Amino acid sequence: MPRELLLGERLLLDRIEVICFLASYAIAFIAEWVRLRHPRNVFRTFVLFTGTAGFIAQTIYLLNRSRQTDLPPLLSSTHDWMLVLAWIAMLFYLSLTLIDGEIALGIFFLPLVILLVAAASFVSNETNSILATGDASRNWTMLHAAFLVIGIAGVVVGLILSLMYLAQHRLLKNKRAFFGQLKLPSLENLARLNWWCVVLSIPFLSMGMLAGFMLGFIGEPSKSFTLNDPVIIGSMAIWCVMIVFFFWRLRAKSYEGKQVALRTVWAFGFLLVILIGLQMMTRNSSSGIESWHTDRIAPSSMQIASIQGYNRKS
Amino acid sequence: MKFQVVYCNHQTAELAVREKLAFSSPEQLGQAYETLREEFPHAEHVVISTCNRIELYSAQENSKPIPSQNEIASFLAHFHRVPRDSFADNLLEHSGPDAVKHLFRVASSLDSMVLGEPQIVRQVKEAYDFAGQSDACGPLTNALFQGALRVSSRVRTETKLVEGRVSIASVAVGDFGKSIFNRFDDKTVVVIGAGEMAGETLRYLKKEGAKTIIVVNRNKESGEELAGEFCGVYHPFSELDHWLSEADIVVSTTGSLQPIIDVERFAAARLAHKKKPVFILDLGAPRDFESAVGNLDENVFLYDIDDLKTICERNRKTRKGEIEKAERIVEEETLQFMHGIYHRATGPVIKRLREEWHSIRQREVDDLFSKLPHLESKDREHIERTVERIVNKLLHPPLEALRDESESGTPHLLLNALKKLFRLNEPND
Repeated sequence: MPRELLLGERLLLDRIEVICFLASYAIAFIAEWVRLRHPRNVFRTFVLFTGTAGFIAQTIYLLNRSRQTDLPPLLSSTHDWMLVLAWIAMLFYLSLTLIDGEIALGIFFLPLVILLVAAASFVSNETNSILATGDASRNWTMLHAAFLVIGIAGVVVGLILSLMYLAQHRLLKNKRAFFGQLKLPSLENLARLNWWCVVLSIPFLSMGMLAGFMLGFIGEPSKSFTLNDPVIIGSMAIWCVMIVFFFWRLRAKSYEGKQVALRTVWAFGFLLVILIGLQMMTRNSSSGIESWHTDRIAPSSMQIASIQGYNRKS
Repeated sequence: MKFQVVYCNHQTAELAVREKLAFSSPEQLGQAYETLREEFPHAEHVVISTCNRIELYSAQENSKPIPSQNEIASFLAHFHRVPRDSFADNLLEHSGPDAVKHLFRVASSLDSMVLGEPQIVRQVKEAYDFAGQSDACGPLTNALFQGALRVSSRVRTETKLVEGRVSIASVAVGDFGKSIFNRFDDKTVVVIGAGEMAGETLRYLKKEGAKTIIVVNRNKESGEELAGEFCGVYHPFSELDHWLSEADIVVSTTGSLQPIIDVERFAAARLAHKKKPVFILDLGAPRDFESAVGNLDENVFLYDIDDLKTICERNRKTRKGEIEKAERIVEEETLQFMHGIYHRATGPVIKRLREEWHSIRQREVDDLFSKLPHLESKDREHIERTVERIVNKLLHPPLEALRDESESGTPHLLLNALKKLFRLNEPND
C-alpha cells in the first residue's frame, strides 16, 4: 500500500474525537425516545444505525489511543478506562437490541453510556506511569484494571436492570404492559439477570481490589502506597458495603421483588458514584486530593520518555 | 318491521355497572325472557350477556310500538333490583338499520375489546340459540342473527382482523403474563371455574409451556372435564384456599354474583408465600376478586377485564386498515339486509297486486275472445300480449314508488294505501 495512503488513513483515524461518538449516542437516544411513541421499523433501524456508527467510531478511537500510547486502553489512562466501560455497556445494549428490537433498552442504557463518555472528557487522558517499572507491575496493573472494569461493567448493567425492573413493576401495578409503545423484559428475567450481575460483579470487584493491593505492595515499594490513601479507604468502604449486599442477595430466597431492585439501585448507584468519583478526583491533578493513584498519573516528561522507551523495547 | 337494541358495553359502562346488569346464568336468562314475553308480548327478543356487554335486541313485525329505551331500562332495573338511575345514563339505543349494523359489528368483533376475538361469534350464536329455546325469537330476529353470523364469517375470511393476539385471554397471557414471568413451565396455574374463558386462557398458557394446572370448581364434572382437556388436576372448591397459596398464576372465571375472594381471604392464603409474585387474571363478570386484593402487596398483580382495555386499544390502532375493510363489509351487508327486510314487507302486497290485475286481464281477454271467435290464433296472441303490456305498464308506477319508498324503511303508509285502493285483503282475512 502506498505510504501516502497509509498516512491519509492514519490522519483520518486521528480526526475521530470523543464528540463524534458522543453525538452519535445522543442522536440514537433521541431517536429511541421517538420510537417509544412511534414504534416503527424505520426508527429502530435509525437507532441501530446511529448506535452502531458511534460504537465503531468509539472502537476506532480506543484502538487509535492504544496505538498512540503503545498500551492497551484499559491501562493507558482514566479517560480510556472509562471509555472502555462505556464501550462494554454499548456492546451489551447493541447485542440485546439485535436479539429483540421490540424491547425499550436504549432509554435505560444510552443515558448511562452518554454519561460515561461525557465524564471521560473531564478526566485526564495522560498515560499512566505505572508501567514504567517492569513486567510485575504491568501484569498486576492489567489484572487490577481488567477485574475492576469487568466488575464495574457488571455493576452498571445491574443498575440499569434494576431500574428497568422498577419501571416494569410500576407499569404492571398501574395495569399497563407497555413502556410507551415498546415492551420491557419480564420481571422474572430482569430479576434473574440482576442476580447474576450481583453475583459476578462483586467477586470481580474484590479481585480487582486485591490485585490493586498486590500492585501497591509488590509492584513499587518506593512509592507512597499506604492504607491511609483516600482511594484505598474509599474502595475498602464500598467493598464492605458490597460484601454485605452480596451475602444478603445470596441468602435472599427469591430472585424477585421491588425491594431487591431498590436495594440494588442504591447499592450499585452508591458504588458507581464513589468509584468513578474517586477515580475522577484523584486522577485529576487540579482536585488537590493526594493519592497513590495520583502519583501514578501526571508523569514527568522523563517518565513518559522512559515508558515509551520501555514499551518500544518490549 | 322494526329493530331495536338497547345496550351497555365496555365502552359505555364500567365493569361495576355491567356486572349489576349481567345475566350470569341460563336460569336467570330464562326468567328474563319470561318477563319480557309478559311485558312485551308482540315483540321478539334476544339478549346477549357477556363480560363486556349486555345487549337486548327487540324486533316487531306489526306497526305496534316496539319497547322503548325507558321501558327496557325499567325492565332491567326491576329484574336485577338495582336503581334505574345507577345505570340509565350508561344505556344506549339504536333502531332500524343502526341496530342491525350494531349487531353485525358486534358479531364481527369490531365492537369487541379485543379486535378479531373469536369468542364473540360463539357468544352471539349461543345467545340466539338460547332465545330460540326460550321461544323469544321470531322470524325477524332469526333473519337478523343469521345475517350477523354470515357477516362475521365474511369478515373473518375477507380480512386479516383475526391475525395476531385476538382474544382477551391471549392479550392477558401474552402481554401481562409474559411481562411478569419469563417462563410458565415451572409455574402453578390455578383455574377457578370451568367456563369457556377458563378453557381459552388455559389454551394460551399451555401454549406458553404451563405444565402444572389445577382446576378448582364447584361442579366436579365440568371441572374434571376441563382439567382432563389440559392435562391438569381437578380439586374441589373446598381446597381453594390451599391452592391460592400455591399458585403463581390464578385465572378466575366463575359466574358468581358476588366476589368470591376478598382481601382477608387472599391475605390468609398468601401467608406462606408472601414474597412470591402472583399473576391474577379475573375474567369473571361480576368480578371474582375484590379489587383491593391487587393492593395487598407489591408482588400481587391483579387484572380484570377493564384493565385489558389499554392493550386492546393499542391492538386496534395497529389494525386500522383491516378495520376499515371490515367496516365496509358491515356497511354493505347492513344495506343488503335492510333491502331484504323491506322487500319482505312489500313483497306480499306486490305479489297480490300483480295477481289481482293479471287475473282481471285474463278474465277480460277470455271474455273478448269468446265474443270474437273468428280471430286467428296469431291475432289472439297479439291481443293477449298487448293487454299484458298495458297491465304491466299500469302497474309499473305504483310498484316503482313502493320500491323507492322501501329504500328508507318499511313503507307502512304506502302499503296501507295500496291495500285500500286496490282492495288487497290479507290472505287470512
